[in-house]
Amino acid sequence: MTIGNLLTAGWRRAGSTGRQAMLIGASVAAVLAMTSHGFAAGVSGDLVLLDWASGNEEDMIKALEQAFVKANPGVNFKEINLTVQGDARGAIRAALQSGEKADLFINTWPAFRKELVDAGQLKDLTALWDSAKVGDNLSDSWKSLGSTDGKVYGITYTYGDRSAMFYKTATMTKAGITTQPTTWADFVANFKKLQAVNITPIAIGAKYWAHTEWFESIYEHLNGVDMTAKLAAHQIPWTDDSVKNALKKYAELIKAGCCGTADSMLAMDWDGASDDVFVAGTHGYEMIGMWNNDRARTVDKLAEGTDYSIQQFPAMGAGHDDVSSVDSKEFSEFANAANAPAADAFLGWLSTADAANVIASHGLASPSNKVDTSLYSAVIKASVDAVGKDKVQFVLGDLLPGDLVDEYRVQLQKFLQDPSDANIDAVSAAIEAKAKTFD
Amino acid sequence: MSQVALVTRGSDDGEFSRAKGNGRELTPLRRWFADAPAASLLLLPVLVLFAFAVVYPLVQTIILSFWDIRGLAKPKFYGLGNFITLAQDANFRQAVVTTILWTACTTALSVGAGWAIALLCSLSPRRTLIPRVMIFAAFGVSEAVTGYVWLQMYRGDGAGLVNAVLSLLGLGGLAHAWLGDSNTAVWCLIIAYSWAQTGLPLLVIFAATQAVPRNILEAAYVDGAMPMSMMRHIVAPLSMPGVRVAVFINLLGSLRAFDTIYVLTGGGPARATETIGFFMFRESFTQFKLGYGAAATLVLLAAVLIVSIPAIIQRTRNTR
Repeated sequence: MTIGNLLTAGWRRAGSTGRQAMLIGASVAAVLAMTSHGFAAGVSGDLVLLDWASGNEEDMIKALEQAFVKANPGVNFKEINLTVQGDARGAIRAALQSGEKADLFINTWPAFRKELVDAGQLKDLTALWDSAKVGDNLSDSWKSLGSTDGKVYGITYTYGDRSAMFYKTATMTKAGITTQPTTWADFVANFKKLQAVNITPIAIGAKYWAHTEWFESIYEHLNGVDMTAKLAAHQIPWTDDSVKNALKKYAELIKAGCCGTADSMLAMDWDGASDDVFVAGTHGYEMIGMWNNDRARTVDKLAEGTDYSIQQFPAMGAGHDDVSSVDSKEFSEFANAANAPAADAFLGWLSTADAANVIASHGLASPSNKVDTSLYSAVIKASVDAVGKDKVQFVLGDLLPGDLVDEYRVQLQKFLQDPSDANIDAVSAAIEAKAKTFD
Repeated sequence: MSQVALVTRGSDDGEFSRAKGNGRELTPLRRWFADAPAASLLLLPVLVLFAFAVVYPLVQTIILSFWDIRGLAKPKFYGLGNFITLAQDANFRQAVVTTILWTACTTALSVGAGWAIALLCSLSPRRTLIPRVMIFAAFGVSEAVTGYVWLQMYRGDGAGLVNAVLSLLGLGGLAHAWLGDSNTAVWCLIIAYSWAQTGLPLLVIFAATQAVPRNILEAAYVDGAMPMSMMRHIVAPLSMPGVRVAVFINLLGSLRAFDTIYVLTGGGPARATETIGFFMFRESFTQFKLGYGAAATLVLLAAVLIVSIPAIIQRTRNTR
């Protein structure tokens, strides 16, 4: 007797009521299979995550794991925790080179994703994107941001508005600024109001990388997302007029006394810049990434939306003001994942309402259209609204390969030391020389 | 057997050797062969440890330096390419200059200060016990902690101790962000590192001053020499062996210094405080160019050997 005959015989023997019950059961199973939990059903075993998140983000990752395990009780998360300060890529590379085996890992650098893809270490998730219907929850722009060479390698789970300028309400009140500037001219004009009450308009923590944020936002607003993408891919040279003009615009800020002396900028790290804006109130604005929202809320104990808020980078009137710079974090799966079924299930689940709401309830933005936006706090909601209506450009520094990003940051430090036209030529030439080594 | 070997090696008159050789005196070569098994057995643990801890990493570093390794990409054999690139790398050349300045200045400052304090303390050893312990304690503090202490002192705003003191002295015009200025950052680091390193030279040189024969000092006193004159003409010259040891140790430490630079400036601003050690770290662990970093490591190793070999020869010249 074949399997088909057995099934037919069983079907006949079940009787009318039994057949109805079986049909209902099959329908329920089919519906469950199509829901977010359905494709995860049946997965089990250890799921190893290479994790370098810290603070609130680490808590959020734990909450995500718990929510996934609740739906998949057979799965047991294990973590390889990397304790890092600043750029985590070195620690991740060291972990991988030393033989650490994981199924999943968190990434935030497209250039690093490319490095891993080229080394054959990441699994192509394009098929999973379709089979798990991730596209129902994440738009094509997130698919594009998680792709390398046309294939999906990362499922974005959170993102940050890098064009958001943070400010403390009391500082602005002290300077008599009641409405936040939306244009470049108004923004620069407000410097005098801030300086009149001994407040340095902008805190730029240039000790490591935060000084590049301003160049990147200026560049994008002057030249648009397409030119920025071309610059990142070195399809236009760093000596191009578009780069020099952006640096000259940046120099306008410096010459208007935006940020104190070059020495003070270069001695300041990102925590120092945050403290100067939120604690000391000696500086007006900072643009440093949405992690700062969490810091202001939890470390400085400020009330979000009341004690402090954000303002999008001002319009520059060059025809490209519909752009926001973002960073994002994604989960990727290693090609040699020991528990690929569970890893696939987790990645497919990551954009569902369950996961998105965990992310939102931890004060972070989710790219999923299934997220309950009422969970967003005031600042996160403002950033999500701003990014949602703009063209999105990934933060330029994280797109640059290898040590080009290092040279880029160092040369922009030299620019801060001397923002003259002659030095702008020297700085752009130095970055271009390094960029050529990657062609 | 090992007892025989030990006694044989330790006895110059050869009495035991003759006994072992049935009354005939062993030739040096035969004696060496007689001693070799026991000596090897005793040396084995140290040799194994040395092989794992020193020889293996060194050989691996040398091998790595011939490969082009960029991130997680497949390594490519590069021959002497990394060394050629190093020679052409303006950042590395700047790191070499910074390393020379850093090493010379930190050694001069820490040993100079340690020597001066040791000589002063030698005038009254008991009464200066507490200050000596306090200064030496700074040497025991980790470089990272030292870095954070000095980070606060060099702060660019009024909360920084250095700027606050300058303001009190009416020199507020000089106040600025010391670590953000390429012209002052390296000197600030030199001062911070030298401060932390003064304890060891003080300890070593003070011990040397205590070894100065008392009868010489008494003879000088009888001849009417004043304390400062005795210090200058007797104690200072006779403490030179201690100074040489302190210079040697501080040179090696300074060449390899990393923590203080990492904490205070991260090699900046604009690479102004990047030494070879920091360059090696950045290339190896931030950029993950392991081959290039290994080549820089070997250059640093060569510098350490250039410093240490003459010192070791000098220290062992009169030993057998």
